Amino acid sequence: MPGKRPGVDMTMLSALAEPNRLNIVELLRDGPLTVGEIADRLGLRQPQASKHLKVLSDSGIVEVKAEANRRIYKLRSEPFEALDAWLRPFRRVMEERFDSLDDYLQQLLDKEKEKS
Amino acid sequence: MSNNAMVSRVENDTVLVLERVFNAPRELVFKMFKEAEHLKHWWGPRGWELPVCNVDFRPGGVWHYCMKCVDQNQGQFYGMESWGKAVYKEIVEGEKIVYQDFFSDAEGGTNEALPSTIVTMEFIEEGGRTKLVNRGEYVSAEALKTVMDMGMLQGITETWNRLEEHLDEVK
Repeated sequence: MPGKRPGVDMTMLSALAEPNRLNIVELLRDGPLTVGEIADRLGLRQPQASKHLKVLSDSGIVEVKAEANRRIYKLRSEPFEALDAWLRPFRRVMEERFDSLDDYLQQLLDKEKEKS
Repeated sequence: MSNNAMVSRVENDTVLVLERVFNAPRELVFKMFKEAEHLKHWWGPRGWELPVCNVDFRPGGVWHYCMKCVDQNQGQFYGMESWGKAVYKEIVEGEKIVYQDFFSDAEGGTNEALPSTIVTMEFIEEGGRTKLVNRGEYVSAEALKTVMDMGMLQGITETWNRLEEHLDEVK
């Protein structure tokens, strides 16, 4: 997606910050599941699981596909890519930058030494 | 490369502080942030270059740049462009730079959907070396905390491994 950045907003971040929803996201890592399966595995009541899935789906973290009379939930990759892009300005990027700056400064200083 | 490790901590819930010492005089380190020709050499993260870097270094001036991924090993990011825009708020020559950091596009617009950060960089002389203190103020404690809470989500993709490294060290 050159030149285009998928959006990260607070809706997505707060959707992920709730423990039950985090569990759902972790569960869906292994593959798509129905609401019944999700509720079973996490020991949630089905309406509760549906409520969380709605939040996750509204914020674009999961998508739902109808298959016969079942609704199957799966993770979308875009929000996680977006999150990674959003996190770039945080520590990792700065650390890499500072490493590069360190190397570059050393090159400049060495050049100066050669001249004198 | 020297072995000066980066130190990080969180202040007042919303400020991420990063410190790093460089084995170079303060004026030289400051210059690296001031001139496009220098920034191009190091501002891009590993595997990312800066094909565009326009610096108007004065309060109110804009620094507009494009980071482009040129490393094929980075998979989905290869070829991706990421535009950044900084607006300088305060400059004390050789000592301090304050700017507001935005996500941007090729036209220099700002992406309001993504949070901007106020960054304060201080350059402190330490016997011929320079300590750089980088303070990033996030919009809210919630924004920063949410990022940290996501440490619970491990290994969804490569992305999460890198996020985890970040979170473990900030904790």
